[in-house]
Amino acid sequence: MSTLPHLTSIFERLRRGYHLAPDDEPEFSKLRERFDEYAAYFAALGLILVRHEREFFYFEPENPETVPDTLPRIAVFSYIMIDYAANQGRPIEDFIFGQNFLVTALPHFTLDRYTALLRQVEVHNMSDLETLVLNHMQRIGWIKWLGDEEFKFLRPFHRVFSKCIELASQTPLPGEPVSANGQNPINGQS
Amino acid sequence: MRINPQRFFNFCADHAALLRALGTHGAEFSEAEATHLIRANPGLGEELPETTWRRLREMQILVPTEPGSELFVTAEPVARLLNYLFNEANPATPEIIRGYVASLETAARQLARALDDEDVQRVHLAFEEISQTLHRIYGDLNETQTAILAEVTRYKTERSRVSVRDKYRRIVHWMERYVEPMIEIVRADGPLRAAFDEIEGLLRRTRDEALFNDHPALARNVRFLRLVGAHALRVFTQCRKEIQPLYESLRRSSFIAEGAARALEQLQVEGLSKWDKYLMGIAAWRYQNVPSDAAILATLRRIIEFPPEPPPILELKIEEEAPGALARLRWLESLPDLVGEKLPVSDLLEWLVRNFPERDTSDVLAGFSILVFHRNFNAIFTDRDPRTYNMADGEIKASPLTLISV
Repeated sequence: MSTLPHLTSIFERLRRGYHLAPDDEPEFSKLRERFDEYAAYFAALGLILVRHEREFFYFEPENPETVPDTLPRIAVFSYIMIDYAANQGRPIEDFIFGQNFLVTALPHFTLDRYTALLRQVEVHNMSDLETLVLNHMQRIGWIKWLGDEEFKFLRPFHRVFSKCIELASQTPLPGEPVSANGQNPINGQS
Repeated sequence: MRINPQRFFNFCADHAALLRALGTHGAEFSEAEATHLIRANPGLGEELPETTWRRLREMQILVPTEPGSELFVTAEPVARLLNYLFNEANPATPEIIRGYVASLETAARQLARALDDEDVQRVHLAFEEISQTLHRIYGDLNETQTAILAEVTRYKTERSRVSVRDKYRRIVHWMERYVEPMIEIVRADGPLRAAFDEIEGLLRRTRDEALFNDHPALARNVRFLRLVGAHALRVFTQCRKEIQPLYESLRRSSFIAEGAARALEQLQVEGLSKWDKYLMGIAAWRYQNVPSDAAILATLRRIIEFPPEPPPILELKIEEEAPGALARLRWLESLPDLVGEKLPVSDLLEWLVRNFPERDTSDVLAGFSILVFHRNFNAIFTDRDPRTYNMADGEIKASPLTLISV
């Protein structure tokens, strides 16, 4: 176990909330190959290493007594992004992962409703969006800057989709079967 | 003949664009709406819109929705012809196919009775009905497949901003309304197959009993029966395969959209204070109270460089006098042995006072109690006259008590 490669760099990144995905080589490949060993190592320290069904890794967060300001900001930003994508008529995952985005072209201030929601988390303009939300999302590995204004979503953004499906599963959609425990079978599908 | 075919088709040839627009419109027209379409799709000649409108009604391309109505629809035969010409198909509903199955079952019963009665004429009629129904089923199946595939293509290429949830509802409608019920009807152990099997048996019986002389027609119908049965299953299985990936994709997208909308709605209604369950937690483990490397190094250095010292020596000494409490305890414990040698003792208290005159009242009474209740002695209370016992710190007046061994 003492021979686990890149242990320090993996730990240092994960403990800060970073999500290790295919862009993060060579750590990502090592985690894929020896996930059980890394998980056992971190479990001994009281840390749970999560392997998401879409194949990326992160530490399971603890339940903090106080919620950092960044979490609601990221959540509101992400839900608005999905809400907008849903109205475009394309499958949402295609929309999110199938293109790059310009900060100035983001839909977050195109509707009064969106603006009001963002105001609740102290995000008032595009500059706030960039400094308070997107930069933090980059630090946790959810987006990647491609230029001053351009970015793309990374695979760990699937955590938002998983959360949405979890929320929606509480009430099934038309034509959707629901299992005996009330969980929707789509939850957890790969 | 109500309409001259040559005039009808000449008109159609001159107004193909208009006819297509009418077919696409689909719903009811007012005269104003029809005129608008006519102006937007002028014919080849220099016909006035009013004339075109009149001829549309004369040739019964447009018919009133009901007698005397101001609203018009495309006549059903024309609509079917336009669908055929423009490769636009309407799907057959499960009810239509079930109707065909019922029709086949009825025709089969008629054929069976005609065979029983050896009635050649009725055999012919039943045979004709079966043959027509089979062709209708075949045509409707093809049209349904075309319609479903067109719908799937439309979903994939559609650029209009229909939300994924609306698309999902539409695709669920197609799955639930057409594909799944149809597969139930046409599958190998479904009602269509059962009706076909029954009819095939009857057709063979017709041939065997020589009640229908057109053997090639009989053979064609048997072949067609098998063809339609296999074709029906294949059509809807293919349709399901076409629609399933779209269904899965839209189902997932729809769920994602639903969850996001719910989260935003909750934030809007309840505010941020009750929004914790909608957040995605992020790990943030920080070091706390951890010594720095410099501190660890300094500590190690102090340990390594610590000069050795001899261990401290404890100074031990024996106290000259036993503590008072210990001496008292030892005296009390010695009493049973001391008094045991003197038994019987006629006056225990007197014995104690005499032998230990330095003891105070408390010590004398403590010793007295130990001896009275000791398991090796019996204490006998006497009725002799009380007397006075003098001790170091006072006196006690009591009747003497005799102590004897057990």
